[in-house]
Amino acid sequence: MYQIAKIMKRSILLIFLLAGFTNLTMAQTMVIPANPQSTPLLLVGATAHIGNGQVIQDAIIGFDQGKLTVVGDATQNFDKAGYKVINVAGKHIYPGFILPATDLGLTEVSAVKATIDNDETGSINPNVRSIIAYNTDSELIPTLRFNGILIAQVRAFGGLISGSSSIVQLDAWNWEDALFQADDGIYLNWPNREKRLFDEKTFTFKTVPNENYSPQIRQLEEIFTETLSYKNNEQNQKANLKLMAMKGLLDGSKRLFLNVNDAKGIIEGVKFAKKMQVKNIVIVGGGEAYLIKDFLKAENLPVILGNVHSLPRREDDDVDLPYKMAYLLHQQGILTGLSYRGTQSSRNLPFFAGTTGAYGLGKEEALKLITSNTAKILGIDKRVGSLEVGKEATLFVSEGDALDMRTNRLLHAFINGRQLQLDATQQALYEKYKNKYQEE
Amino acid sequence: MKRVLSLILMIGIGSFTLRGQVTFPRNDVKDERSRAFIFKNATIIVDHQHTIKNGMLMIKDGKIQNVAQTLNVPEGYTVIDLEGKFVYPGLIDIYTSYGLPAVKKIQNNFWGREQIQSATKGAYNANQAIKPEYAAAEEFAMNSEKAKKLRNLGFGSVLSFRADGIARGSSVFATLGNDSENVSMLNTAVAAHYSFNKGSSTQSYPVSAMGYIALLRQTYLDAEWYKSLKTKPFTDQSLVAWNQLQSLPQIFETNNWLQLLRADRVGDEFGKQYIIKGGGDEYKRIQEVKATGASLIIPLNFPEAFDVEDPLDAMKLSLKQMLHWELAPTNPGILEKNGIEFAITTHRVESGKFWKNLRKAIGHGLSEETALKALTTIPARLINMDDMVGSLKTGMVANFLVTSGNLFSKDVVIYENWIQGKRYVINPMDQLELAGKYDLNFMGNSYNLEISGKPGKHSAKIIINDTTSVKVKMKVQRELVTLNFDIGDKEISDKEIRFSGWVDGKDIQGRGQLGNGDWVSWQALHRDDLSEEDKADPVADKADSDYGKVLYPYLGYGNAQVPTQKSLLFKNATVWTNESDGIMQNTDVLVKQGKIVKIGKNISDKAAEVIDATGKHLTSGIIDEHTHIAATSINDVATNSSMVRIGDVINPDDINIYRQLSGGVTAAQILHGSANPIGGQSALIKFRWGASPEAMKIKGADNYIKFALGENVKRSRSTASRRYPQTRMGVEQVYMDAFTNALEYEKEWKSYNKLSTRQKATADKPRRDLVHEAMLEIIRGQRFISCHSYVQSEINMLMHVADHFGFKVNTFTHILEGYKVADKMAAHGVGGSTFADWWAYKWEVRYAIPYNPILMQMAGVTVAINSDDAEMARRLNQEAAKSVKYGGMSEEDAWKMVTLNPAKLLHLDDRMGSIKVGKDADLVLWIDNPLSIYAKAEKTMVDGIIYYDMQEDLKKRKFIQHERARLVHKMKEAKKGGASTQKPFETSHVEFHCDVIVGDHVLYLGEH
Repeated sequence: MYQIAKIMKRSILLIFLLAGFTNLTMAQTMVIPANPQSTPLLLVGATAHIGNGQVIQDAIIGFDQGKLTVVGDATQNFDKAGYKVINVAGKHIYPGFILPATDLGLTEVSAVKATIDNDETGSINPNVRSIIAYNTDSELIPTLRFNGILIAQVRAFGGLISGSSSIVQLDAWNWEDALFQADDGIYLNWPNREKRLFDEKTFTFKTVPNENYSPQIRQLEEIFTETLSYKNNEQNQKANLKLMAMKGLLDGSKRLFLNVNDAKGIIEGVKFAKKMQVKNIVIVGGGEAYLIKDFLKAENLPVILGNVHSLPRREDDDVDLPYKMAYLLHQQGILTGLSYRGTQSSRNLPFFAGTTGAYGLGKEEALKLITSNTAKILGIDKRVGSLEVGKEATLFVSEGDALDMRTNRLLHAFINGRQLQLDATQQALYEKYKNKYQEE
Repeated sequence: MKRVLSLILMIGIGSFTLRGQVTFPRNDVKDERSRAFIFKNATIIVDHQHTIKNGMLMIKDGKIQNVAQTLNVPEGYTVIDLEGKFVYPGLIDIYTSYGLPAVKKIQNNFWGREQIQSATKGAYNANQAIKPEYAAAEEFAMNSEKAKKLRNLGFGSVLSFRADGIARGSSVFATLGNDSENVSMLNTAVAAHYSFNKGSSTQSYPVSAMGYIALLRQTYLDAEWYKSLKTKPFTDQSLVAWNQLQSLPQIFETNNWLQLLRADRVGDEFGKQYIIKGGGDEYKRIQEVKATGASLIIPLNFPEAFDVEDPLDAMKLSLKQMLHWELAPTNPGILEKNGIEFAITTHRVESGKFWKNLRKAIGHGLSEETALKALTTIPARLINMDDMVGSLKTGMVANFLVTSGNLFSKDVVIYENWIQGKRYVINPMDQLELAGKYDLNFMGNSYNLEISGKPGKHSAKIIINDTTSVKVKMKVQRELVTLNFDIGDKEISDKEIRFSGWVDGKDIQGRGQLGNGDWVSWQALHRDDLSEEDKADPVADKADSDYGKVLYPYLGYGNAQVPTQKSLLFKNATVWTNESDGIMQNTDVLVKQGKIVKIGKNISDKAAEVIDATGKHLTSGIIDEHTHIAATSINDVATNSSMVRIGDVINPDDINIYRQLSGGVTAAQILHGSANPIGGQSALIKFRWGASPEAMKIKGADNYIKFALGENVKRSRSTASRRYPQTRMGVEQVYMDAFTNALEYEKEWKSYNKLSTRQKATADKPRRDLVHEAMLEIIRGQRFISCHSYVQSEINMLMHVADHFGFKVNTFTHILEGYKVADKMAAHGVGGSTFADWWAYKWEVRYAIPYNPILMQMAGVTVAINSDDAEMARRLNQEAAKSVKYGGMSEEDAWKMVTLNPAKLLHLDDRMGSIKVGKDADLVLWIDNPLSIYAKAEKTMVDGIIYYDMQEDLKKRKFIQHERARLVHKMKEAKKGGASTQKPFETSHVEFHCDVIVGDHVLYLGEH
């Protein structure tokens, strides 16, 4: 009902997007999900950033029925018949960026409780599924697409085991439609070894040991050991939604996203998960992962880093530590991706990558952090994450370097070959007031 | 409890005698003794300058009657021979709460219901933290347990105050004897006390350091005004008491050097020189501390070494914490070297550590003479009690110590602490001298036993050979001796051996039990005295030669030498002038004495250091219109907080200053937060890394103030809040009220000022009000508003209010819906300082669009991009670049949004914000186009001083690493040497945004 009311309210500005026809005089406030690709498309003349480190100048990128059919340079010989050619000479093509570990669609306004669905009560919630709360009509989604983010992994926060995450594509009518991969993993917040207290005398925070650390680990131990016995003898057990949800961690069908930042916590968390026979472990956060690179390398664990644009945690840290952290992990050969906690700045994911590019990684390696690396970490690299024949045509064309805000300007974006409508409420408001001031 | 008036009249009564108790009923026969003693053959330390060897001291009735080399012994005196002993004046601690009840701790909840009025019952001050009427004398009750603790340390008298409130009332001065308060209390109102801590006050205002200062300032004004009134319009017993206390010594409690300087500034404004209780870290800014001219009260709160065995755990420590561990013991010595007068207090130091730390301070540079002064004559004089205590002179109170020798030597024994002529034994003086070398014989074996130390403080060991010895636990009680040791030879005893014995002439003998329970006889036969070498036990710890250097500011990235101004010549740069010349290629810029002196091609200057800027971009420094770094607090909570000033609480030691220099930021406006429709006064600072708080400020800058609209000020997130206003409607009324009343206030003063001198003599003066004065400055164009704002209705409202009172709003900050009213803003002449793309955090920002800057610019508004965030501030160049992406702003215009435009909004564009001859050399050299995400600042300078340099930064990192390693090693050595340690912990500053509130009891972290 709410949605209908919203549509009515804005119907004055509503212009339907028709195939091959765009009205540029007035932007659309309503974002209408695109229809399946009907015409094979060929993007010609751009610099293609493949997402695996490779760059193709003067590229030809073709796709049909949602799948990439051609990836090569101008010299490549192939039958162009049937393709509609779009000349994008001088532009840049990228695989759609992937934002993992986000509450996009679960949180609209972080100060208004009624708009927040990202933290269920209780501390062990593996059965809670983020996907069913994912709001495809969130007004934040178009602001991410506008920067090149086309795929997201939506997760819950809070508790020790927050819930099951799912992967979505960002152009959909409803959550079922948005589903890219359901229940791909479970998010676990490793307990904090320490807690922060505010010290009145010095006006600073001070860390003290967290007395709940061991009890919380015991709590986790219980659910994992129960899951193990449940899995081994499921027929004779009473149905248990939590244990059923946890099971996938042990048979490898779900990944364990271990949210932990401090070095010792990472070691303890990983040792714990291995002991509990978890098959696939991903470190999320990893603020101090750089201190124990050898351990992560030896265990062959990937890391999804938190917000790149953050302050060093400690006063004595290198001023640029958060900026170069991805580089430090990369140097050791650790598979690394980027994320952002919260909804306020997640759309700046490309610029987080750009920053890591400036601080050691270089542009193409930085690009991998938000494309192929993340796809590998999430286990969806067979479908997305790089521009390779056979993969889904989820990509976009930018005026210039998409990792730099100075040049990131999207001209076309596609999910599964479907061409997206990029303009939304913000652009409509821009047009509205631009016209007002230009007329005055 | 608060019958203060009568009590204060008692000041100066002072000279109680032991016979003061004649008024009390007896429950025995009369037993009045004169306590007349003569001490002879003692080394008498009269005061830090005068010592009488083999002198005599005569006391009677609790008073010193005479001190001299020789005295006749009159009848009726008991003579005590103190051969070889020393007599010192009793020590004085003028910073205790001895004998006073504990202060109730309170917990404020910022999101709870505000308490607007004071909860104090009765006709007292409007603010609950102003308690000058409190007289410690009314509650003072001797406490034998605590008195004993202090006596054992050597103290004979203390000043005692109640640590509660910002104005804390008066203190008492009392001895530490066990007599009744009638005897021990020597002065009932000795000093007035103040602090930056509201204590048990439950009233909401103030919560911040700047609020405490504002409240103190207003109270000084109120008290003066109240006194001047012929007819009092209301009764305020607090103000009466305040005025009465003004003639006493004024003691201000601070906990660090920053607070110390702030307290002194308050005092300067009102002609008061406080005695300041410091935090023990004065060495960090010794020059500024010295310049206050204040006498200090210094604690010996030296931190313990940290456990640094685990390198990951040790990372929690900052270099600053580690360095303070090393340097804190040097603080008293540094104060002495700088000629700063100070008393030493036991405040917040465990009694077991007091002497250890004092000796440590002496080992680290404090002279014994100054130490003695700081514990006797200085504290006595600071509180005007030097005619009674602090030295051993005729007529003074008979408070003195009898010791085994030099009070400051490690093995000294304090035998007796005489207080008001009454003896308190701490260690019996008749302890036997047992030091010497002995043959310890038992079970047919003979061992080499060595007893050292002074009587009453003996220690012993069994020497096995040159390198090994066994520690012996030794206890002596008069003639009885107990020894415990583990000889380490299983054949003799597999467990500890326990001996009990008695002294027999020069020898010791007795019975003992071996580990297996067998009884044995033993003897320790005196063989020899200790050699001088064995006895040598110099004063306390030895001084170090390799101290770390004090850093300015005091943290890892600080400088031991603050960088200085140089002549600099940038060659061949791409210069973003922000002037009509636009972006100039291959251009030179010459900087001298902090100014830009030449721009052009082929400039040369022999005196200048040449910097090759080929392929690099030179711009003016980024100016952040809206920051909350570099301040100790950001928000106070009065609906109209215009009396509080960020300038009072600048914190130049914020690491974020350096981090932002690395992002090309050179100046900023530190704004008050957005907790109230009318916030506090701003401070405009330059990022002079290492400067003092005052030197950070931009001299001659215009005055600014923060206003705020919307959700924060109407307390949207607190369901319990009842503070006015709760709606945007109420917000308007707050403004109408504040400005209307300010005009009334002006009128009142004008008519008063018009009176003739004779008329004034009979008229009552109007009250000075800091709130009204700030509001008037706004109306009169002497103070400019930067207003936190989001939605169009309230933005328009404030412009109407301003029009009504005939002034202009200077800046709307945040202004996320500015694009909707940009035409009106342009017409009003107000600037917009906004975010590039920042939304989704509050309901009122849901129509925020990244096209806001370009739309406002289109309508003719001066647009800046600000940070309001310590992290974003170091990427403001990138935030500006977003307007190139959203709406296609030109790169030059985008760049001006973080340089020239904020300079305009802050009225600093005549000297900052562009590269123009004559302007301040606040410059940044970038390795790439400054709008690019790949750009990094290579050099950032303020006033021609390079405060950030990419190469220097790498050196600083190395320095931090090496300095930490040095201190880790030193801490491990200290631990090996037996020093007690503590677990490492991490400290972090609060990162402020608009609605972060930090007070003594309040903390809330929020967003924008």
